[in-house]
Amino acid sequence: MAKGRELVGRIKTTENTRKITRTMEMVATSKLKRSSDRVAAARPYAQALGDVISSLFNAELAERFPLLRQPVVERRAAVLLVTANRGLCGGFNANLIKEARLTLAYLEEKGVQVDLHVVGRKGIGYFRYVGRDLASTRTDIGDVPTAADASALVDGLMADFIAGTIDAVYVVHSKFNSVLSIPPHTDRVLPVAAPTRAGAGRDYLLYPSADAILTELLPSYVRNAVYRALVETAAAEQAARRTAMKSATDNAGEMLNLLRRTYNRARQANITQEIAEIVGGAAALQG
Amino acid sequence: MLKVSVVSPEATLYQGDATSVVAPAFDGEVGILPSHAPMITVLGHGILRVNGDTPARFTVSGGFVQVVDDVVRVVTEKATAV
Repeated sequence: MAKGRELVGRIKTTENTRKITRTMEMVATSKLKRSSDRVAAARPYAQALGDVISSLFNAELAERFPLLRQPVVERRAAVLLVTANRGLCGGFNANLIKEARLTLAYLEEKGVQVDLHVVGRKGIGYFRYVGRDLASTRTDIGDVPTAADASALVDGLMADFIAGTIDAVYVVHSKFNSVLSIPPHTDRVLPVAAPTRAGAGRDYLLYPSADAILTELLPSYVRNAVYRALVETAAAEQAARRTAMKSATDNAGEMLNLLRRTYNRARQANITQEIAEIVGGAAALQG
Repeated sequence: MLKVSVVSPEATLYQGDATSVVAPAFDGEVGILPSHAPMITVLGHGILRVNGDTPARFTVSGGFVQVVDDVVRVVTEKATAV
């Protein structure tokens, strides 16, 4: 029963694989819960910042702030790509890399010189492989990005933008609309597109002045945009991994059913054959 | 009563009612009582005190306070409960 033994081996490996993928699914589920809580926790801050900036913002102030400067032509831009450090999460990293490549192609077609900054081993690995120079790389931002990580990433770019050496900063990240909707997305964080909301016409007492408040808040707004990108990507990674591992577990189960059925059929055929042989042998002896 | 919230990028650190708030503004402390006029002010470094049934203190650095209709929002990048 050579075929039977081979099947037993395959059944065992499939069972082991299913155990691993199921465990990974459960780990991703619990991490996803915590990461999506962090996405929700980041919302009030962004909301408050957006409210205040929109209530202070007007077109005449805009011209005085370097972060709001709208360059006539983009000559040099920075693209910050956020990917995961680990794989086994379906098309998650591939989708982000594809989005980044589209953004790069679009910018370069317009004649913009692009510096590429990459977070996460997967993105770094890909762009090293295709032989692209990376302006900076980071792999130490894990499942729990902090506001400090975000400012470390973007503060240098903000200084370059103010100095005029770059004209725009784009962030390629994954949105986290829900567990099942995690589309890759490109945001332009610089120059700042000030949020405008209707009904922002309260007369506030402003200390020390609208100028000073905006000077303080605009960099926070940019840092927060990057922080949100990091947090949402971290949550989206776990969501993608959970979905991928769930389907891997399901597929392993289906394969196990098929293998067990084949094994049992082979076993039964074997027994039937043996009985036939014994009966045949006995009949021959009697005759 | 004032409705107070203290938010940082990572979390909402405080949410609740208070009788008064003392915040470390850029040029010295600013006290906020109910019926305060709408105000936005930049924060410096120092201790933020929320007084009321559930008093709380935070060290804050940078950010701003927004007061409107007895709703006080303290928005800061760096805040830790004391």
